[in-house]
Amino acid sequence: MKKKDFLLLIEDVLEVDEGSLNGTEALEDLEMWDSLAVVTFIALVDEHLEMSISPEKISAAKSVSDLLALTGDKLND
Amino acid sequence: MSEVSFPGVRIRGVAAAVPDQVRTLADDAKVFGEDEVRKVSESAGVKQRHISSILCASDLCFAAAERLLAESDCPAEDVDALVFISQTSDYILPATSCCLQERLGLSKDCATFDVNLGCSGHVYGLWVVSSLIASGAARRALVLSGDTIHRMCSPEDRSVALLFGDAGTATLLERCEDTVPSHFVLGTDGSGQDHLKVGAGGCRTPWTPAALQRVECEGGNKRGAGDLYMNGAEVFSFTLRAVPPLVKKVLGGAGKVIGDVDGFVFHQANKFMLEHLGKRLKVPKDKLILSLENFGNTSSASIPLAMVTELGDRLRSEELDLVLAGFGVGFSWAAASLRCGDMTVPELVLVPVP
Repeated sequence: MKKKDFLLLIEDVLEVDEGSLNGTEALEDLEMWDSLAVVTFIALVDEHLEMSISPEKISAAKSVSDLLALTGDKLND
Repeated sequence: MSEVSFPGVRIRGVAAAVPDQVRTLADDAKVFGEDEVRKVSESAGVKQRHISSILCASDLCFAAAERLLAESDCPAEDVDALVFISQTSDYILPATSCCLQERLGLSKDCATFDVNLGCSGHVYGLWVVSSLIASGAARRALVLSGDTIHRMCSPEDRSVALLFGDAGTATLLERCEDTVPSHFVLGTDGSGQDHLKVGAGGCRTPWTPAALQRVECEGGNKRGAGDLYMNGAEVFSFTLRAVPPLVKKVLGGAGKVIGDVDGFVFHQANKFMLEHLGKRLKVPKDKLILSLENFGNTSSASIPLAMVTELGDRLRSEELDLVLAGFGVGFSWAAASLRCGDMTVPELVLVPVP
């Protein structure tokens, strides 16, 4: 999966405009990033990348790019 | 993993009871605000819940069992064993199953005991009782699964306060030579014990005023050690790891594939989670049974409650191949592949709140 397609999915979860995230955003500034969004993120990664990411690692993420980094080499440019 | 098949056991009937009092989203919105309640409800799939702060799980199980014994023409003295599955017992001791033996007028020759399990509990109960019947230790036995978990939730903790409802159920199993064997797979991972927990009130951390004090936690939720804590992300992550292999294993053991099954009755934890699991397992949408909308998550009662409310008409008149799967608190899980039907299924019992 391409990185930009995965960003589109995260934008959908966070209910922000398409193309509005570039990766540098701090998660704490995103109003919709809450416990429900974490669960949805886990589901997206499971469904589209067939991998499981530990919730602990997700809570440690500070920015959108930290979240992308958790998918390891599953995303390409 | 524990895995076994039981020949010679059938489910003769199943019944469920809930308090007649309903809590709606409008009631919840007064506490948490409309936007928050709508958001949680859309994800969890809960639109109302039957709850009472007076009726106990045993009261609901009693109402379900009384109706089931009457409608299935089973005299109380024919019940050889009763197992009460719950994490919301009447007392620390005695076992609630003893109280239920007396209240239901069962024989004094009846063996009874409690099992302290939640989400996985009902399937564990079917496994225990099927084993008793298959071994000859009992000919006819009741599994009474019920919980009132919402009473353990802090009303100021939106991670749990909007999800749980009350229900009690009764399932009557009996010896029957002419049946398709049921197949069970069970497991445990206690490393998940802290992710769904009421920490205080037992022997390790007794209830003290300090333990009961509610303090501000993540996301502004307030709870004390005597309230239910749930780490939703950890629980979800666990189900993604555990449930697909569990369902595949129980089907494999029973010699079946997804397409052979008439209904998948999973523990009714959360609609988002169940639909995700359904997608992962490629379960056709109409075979994924959901009853959360009207009842919420009813813990150990959720599987038999869904059988009554969503499959009752069919189970009264035909035989169905079902997969039941419970998973959660513990972490603990259990699944059964069984053929059941042509059985007694009383209408849902509404118990008046005194």
